Amino acid sequence: MKRILLPMLVALMPAFAQAEGVSGNLVLYTSQPNTDAQQTIDAFKARNPGVNVTFVRDGTPKILAKLSAEFEAGQPQADVLLIADSVTMEGLKKEGRLLAHEKADVSAYPAGTHDPQKFWFATKLITTGIAYNTKATFKPTSWQDLTKPEVKGQLVMPSPLTSGAALIHAATLTGTMQGGWKYYEALKDNDAVAGGGNGDVLKQVAGGQKLYGVIVDYMPIREKAKGAPVEFVFPKEGVSAVTEPVAILKSTKNPDAARAFVDFLLSKEGQELALKQGYIAAHPAVALPEGYPAREQIKVMSFDAAKALADETKNKAAFADIFGQ
Amino acid sequence: MRDRFQTKSFLERGGFGLLALVALLVFAFDVLPALRLLIAALFPGGTFNPDAMLSTLSSRSASSAARATFETALWSTFLALPLGTVMALILGITDLRGRRIASFLFVLSVMISPQVIALAFLHLTGPASPILNALGLAPGAGSANPMLGRGGIILVLGLHHAPLVYVVMSAGLKRIPLAVVEAARIDGARPIGILTDHLLPLLRPHLVGAALLAFVAGIGNFGIPALLGAPVNYLTLPVLIYRRLSSFGTGMIGDVSALGLLVAAIAIVCVAASQVLTRRGGVHLEDDTPLKPFWTLGRARITAEIFVGAVLATTLLLPILSLMASALVPSYGMPLSIATITLDNFVEVLVRQDVTIRAFANSLLYAGGAALLLSLTVVPVAYGLIRLMGRWRILAISLVEISYVLPGIVLAIACILLFLKPLPLVRVSLYATPWIIVFAYLARFLSVALKPVLAGMAQADVAQEEAAAIDGARLAQRLFGIVLPSLLPAAVAGGLMAFLLAFSELTVSALLWSAGTETIGVVLYNLEEAGLASQASAVAIVIVAVVTVAMLVLDALGKYLPEGALPWQCEPHAEDQARMNAFHAPARSPAVSRLEPKAALS
Repeated sequence: MKRILLPMLVALMPAFAQAEGVSGNLVLYTSQPNTDAQQTIDAFKARNPGVNVTFVRDGTPKILAKLSAEFEAGQPQADVLLIADSVTMEGLKKEGRLLAHEKADVSAYPAGTHDPQKFWFATKLITTGIAYNTKATFKPTSWQDLTKPEVKGQLVMPSPLTSGAALIHAATLTGTMQGGWKYYEALKDNDAVAGGGNGDVLKQVAGGQKLYGVIVDYMPIREKAKGAPVEFVFPKEGVSAVTEPVAILKSTKNPDAARAFVDFLLSKEGQELALKQGYIAAHPAVALPEGYPAREQIKVMSFDAAKALADETKNKAAFADIFGQ
Repeated sequence: MRDRFQTKSFLERGGFGLLALVALLVFAFDVLPALRLLIAALFPGGTFNPDAMLSTLSSRSASSAARATFETALWSTFLALPLGTVMALILGITDLRGRRIASFLFVLSVMISPQVIALAFLHLTGPASPILNALGLAPGAGSANPMLGRGGIILVLGLHHAPLVYVVMSAGLKRIPLAVVEAARIDGARPIGILTDHLLPLLRPHLVGAALLAFVAGIGNFGIPALLGAPVNYLTLPVLIYRRLSSFGTGMIGDVSALGLLVAAIAIVCVAASQVLTRRGGVHLEDDTPLKPFWTLGRARITAEIFVGAVLATTLLLPILSLMASALVPSYGMPLSIATITLDNFVEVLVRQDVTIRAFANSLLYAGGAALLLSLTVVPVAYGLIRLMGRWRILAISLVEISYVLPGIVLAIACILLFLKPLPLVRVSLYATPWIIVFAYLARFLSVALKPVLAGMAQADVAQEEAAAIDGARLAQRLFGIVLPSLLPAAVAGGLMAFLLAFSELTVSALLWSAGTETIGVVLYNLEEAGLASQASAVAIVIVAVVTVAMLVLDALGKYLPEGALPWQCEPHAEDQARMNAFHAPARSPAVSRLEPKAALS
């Protein structure tokens, strides 16, 4: 009976037909700011009205901590993860927590933006550079500038204990810059502080409590467009980058809706939403939002993902030790 | 009058079902969490290993957090104590105008959750302050927000906890018989002399009790150091616990339990000390009229009024105005002007964002549900405690206090420990369901909800019940026919008070929320952490509005409530009630006569 009724219903109701038959509940764990997460969900639901999506937002390390508690309790709540970095995703993949989405259409994306076995897919490029308050007289152009006396006591950074992007940033900088962790020691000697996440950095720099901040690109660029007194710099050595990958958890209760969600993020429409929100979309054909230099002019520093994964705890500890956390 | 609390009257016979209920609630909500925490700290991995606990406690971050906790709690107490005491004296013994409303507003400031107050002060000062910028008084760019770090935490904790001191001192004042003042007057003493020679010595135990309470509240506070200390890495123990657990996961729970136990131990010792001190040497108000304002200030009245106004402006008005200003600009850091003013942040959080709408609904539901459950149980529990437990009641009432005195973050760890794994026998897991939050609320606020009912129960006349019992009325009939109707308003008041405190709390739910069960406190903290300070302010304004409305409802209920149920009532609400209480004063049991209005620890 169900077999006959369902296609009939689908045929009768155009909304359901459009929904590709996907329905039910979907829980998204994400590190996107609330507004962005809500917009993403709203856009997804416009195409899949049968799916009811709830989300949990926090910094990537905190999301992971929550998730690991739920693994321990034997009832992970999340179906889909949309978090800062692929290193974390690699870790989950190795633990066997992820579900491959073999049918995902990644033809438009160059190799390397997704896992070859399709366990996770990059959705954006989020770089970390330098923001400054427009009242600042000294305008830094490089990472080394942050160790100069002009910046003394005026720099704020996100902590890798709170932010996934900050963890990758630390791994990238210590991997490429001469002296490794000595760079962070120099920042500490220059009275830099690292407390919370990127949001804290934005608030302190936009609020003028600190003049300089290490921060992900879209936050200051977007707030500047609203009128906040901030400016963003792509330092000349290059920027570190995360890709905000999406993945489906193996324990998902609704794999169909989860796949539809991933498909949506990878679709042209999903990628254009990222553009509208002020992110660099992962799709190479999507333009960059206003306030960014051209795609080819953004120099991304290289970084060793395997090493970053192996060193994750060590890096967190090294950072926490220098900045007293 | 016969002392019915020493010898078992026939009223006390039977009622084992009721006693079992009391015992069960006390065990589930107070003894069990405390015990579980103790086991996790002392037996990590199932074997007795106090060394693990000691090494956690002696680690560098733990000792610096312990120092930070101690110094902020201590110095903030030194700020709260004189401020709260002076306010209690001005509002309690002088002829200042508008005492009632001043008292209401002062207590309102402590009912608003600490994180909202912290957010407000953070936005009030610093280079981005919309208010200071509008006045052209903002500090230059690059100067740190003075609220961030140790000094700010001490100031905000001190201002926030001054009303706690006020509540305790006002209650103390109300226990002094008016006769003390009248006698001194006949001797020709001037008001200032009456204050220093007669009132202050009588208030000394309350002063100590208030200081200890403010200190404990400072130790356990999470919202203020989380918002003002964490961004600059000045961590107190509750914030360190939160950070460890939220960044490293439940693998840390053994370590974190040890830290929690440390905080809990300090808190419990202080509260126990304050109970002993306020009980010993207190004045007993028996067949006497309580103290009334006797100090006619004359020309000094206007000065006193300005002082009270300034205190209210600093603790309540300015912070809320600055929240409002931050909520009305498009992006944090922009000045507030006609050109920049927008309601967009309110629309975003109240209309567009599912998560904030859901969080408001969740908080209303969880806090409201817990409050409802509490107001349904408190009457039988109070009856059981007062009429059936004999001298055990003192122990039982003290146990009920445990979950309230435990800092919220510590109670949350206990709940995780209890409910992370599926429950034995029923194989149901509460973790990641609303029930874990509701359980924590029930545990934490049982004593808050119970307090006005206990007070009412202690004031209730036993004669009617005895008469009914002689006529053959059974326990259930007496409970529902006689006790319940007279205690209903108190039960409602207790429930509302629990709702007030639970609605916007962060300290319990910070560790217990999960997808779909976020509370409004969590969402506020999350928005602030994500850098969406203007939206966080909009949420905060809505929270303040809800709390104010709930308090106004409580205030309107005031005339049906037993005396002392509302912490902001500065004088007996009805003369005849006072007279009635005076007649029946000896009926109060020693354990209950000392019940002070509950101050909001968080």
